[in-house]
Amino acid sequence: MSFDAPQEARRTAGTGIEPGRDYGFFTDTSVCIGCKACEVACKEWNQLPAEEDGMSGMSYDNTVDLSATTWRHVAFIEQMNHRPDGQTPDFQSRWLMSSDVCKHCDPAPCLEACPTGAIFRTEFNTVVVQQDICNGCGYCVPACPFGVVDLDGVDGKAHKCTMCYDRLKGGLEPACSKVCPTDSIQFGPLDELIPRAEDRVASLHDRGVEDAYLYGAPGHPGATGGIEKLNAFFLLLDRPEVYNFPAAPSRPAERIGLALGTGLATFAGLALAATALLGNRR
Amino acid sequence: MTRRELPDTWRGESYYGQPPLKNPQWDWKVSGYIAIAGLAGAAQALAWIGTRRDRDAFRGARRNANLIGLTGAATGSALLIADLKTPRRFYNMLRILRPTSPMSFGTYILGAFGVATAVSALGDISALRRRRAVARLADIAQAGAAISGAGAATYTAALMAATSNPYYAAAPRGLGAQFSTSSVAAGAAALALGERAGGRDKSAKQLEEVAAIAAVGHVGASLVAGRSRRAAGVERAVAGSAHKSEAADLLIAGALPIAGYALNRATGGRAPAAAVVGSLALIAGSFVMRHGILNKGKKAARRPDAAFGLAQPRNLPGTDRRRLGGRL
Ligand code: SF4
Repeated sequence: MSFDAPQEARRTAGTGIEPGRDYGFFTDTSVCIGCKACEVACKEWNQLPAEEDGMSGMSYDNTVDLSATTWRHVAFIEQMNHRPDGQTPDFQSRWLMSSDVCKHCDPAPCLEACPTGAIFRTEFNTVVVQQDICNGCGYCVPACPFGVVDLDGVDGKAHKCTMCYDRLKGGLEPACSKVCPTDSIQFGPLDELIPRAEDRVASLHDRGVEDAYLYGAPGHPGATGGIEKLNAFFLLLDRPEVYNFPAAPSRPAERIGLALGTGLATFAGLALAATALLGNRR
Repeated sequence: MTRRELPDTWRGESYYGQPPLKNPQWDWKVSGYIAIAGLAGAAQALAWIGTRRDRDAFRGARRNANLIGLTGAATGSALLIADLKTPRRFYNMLRILRPTSPMSFGTYILGAFGVATAVSALGDISALRRRRAVARLADIAQAGAAISGAGAATYTAALMAATSNPYYAAAPRGLGAQFSTSSVAAGAAALALGERAGGRDKSAKQLEEVAAIAAVGHVGASLVAGRSRRAAGVERAVAGSAHKSEAADLLIAGALPIAGYALNRATGGRAPAAAVVGSLALIAGSFVMRHGILNKGKKAARRPDAAFGLAQPRNLPGTDRRRLGGRL
């Protein structure tokens, strides 16, 4: 069994990795320095090819977005005047950086949409696409409320972050969190990560950073509309949209009943009319 | 206590205007499939109703519905498989049945429709029909094709509404009504064309009446759906193309067929060509409408104003829109 492995994560993340426990990422954007070590580590470990995007014109962000071959993406937001008192500082007032990733939602819209069972929930409560099963129907792509998962044009399958499923199996924490030099990306069991994140927000508030809030932790923005929690959750310092996150995502499956019910009811009404009109009248 | 509300209100911020959502690779093959499944499913349902009411008068319509059903199930499946990016694995659709995925349960609805239609079509082969058991079986299968046909005509609305695409998701009920009315209209129109071609004017006229009622219903459904999308702040983002394709929809699948049928009726049946034009317009309209919705959604998903506009707390299910007004 792979779980006899040395459990390196005990030393790098302060946690063992056991099946049956829920794991996730806490991305504390208040300490992200935009080094992109997570992007590189992810590409290297998962052997993801580079993309040719050219210059985007978006601060230091030429990665632009997550894709089938980019599973970590560091956003750069230069704010010249964010201060609520309206004072324009001499230098730029704030530079937000944030490493985006698949949220490993619970429940996960991509998984609930997948018709083949290729997308499944692992023993670590993460969400993974099985490449030997996916047939490239693409239904997970519009299902995702965060624009994460995508089809790859080369192999015709859906791809996204696996939270390094292979590493977790071997007792290693994910490549991105291990390499993060500021601990902006923290990996761990959710029952430890969530309280730690709540404490972090409280201490930031104490220090006067009142903009700080959690996104995706249970009961917070991002965990809305039937999505109970994002196993990869964030500490943000501005509106979610600023980071390209939706303020109030919702679980698509909850709309099935509305659409199908109304459709069938309308159909039945017209069938009734047809019963009256067709055949031998009078 | 950590703050659980969002800072301030959304003033249209975005990340450099980058698209918040991704689109599927879906193109005309998917919208075409949706229209075909709707037309074929509704044709079977209407033929079954006609057969129940007057077996002899609807023998021809029944045969045509079986043919339409067989062709629809075959081309529909072919389109769906062609749309896969790894088509040789199409059979993986049958690995599981997932009630939260219309893509999954829809596969079984389409499969059931194809099988029921094939068995029902056995009853159209005169050598076989003479055996009582076959005739009975075909009758039962026809009922099955009618029920699964209703499913095939409407589940596609759930398929689109159960996404995070702002245009598809903003009006789940409206979309359901749009797809089912358009399906019944196109199905009735297709059967009516067959009846006209076969010289069975009486059943043709009856089917045209059904088609006209469904077309009126479709106009209503489209207006209601448009209102929901506007209320959710989605329509604005695609306004230009939305107005154009909404107008095309109301014209091709509404005004034109209704006028054609009315003209034929007003002249006491002396303008069958107008009715035929009306039927053709309804069928064309059912394709145009599906394709228009598909494309507007693809556009909306790439626009922060549409995607973020829908994903605001005031649009969450169970939130009373009136109470929150325009404040959030
Ligand atoms: S963020 Fe998107 S891809 Fe990731 S688990 Fe959630 S729905 Fe799936």
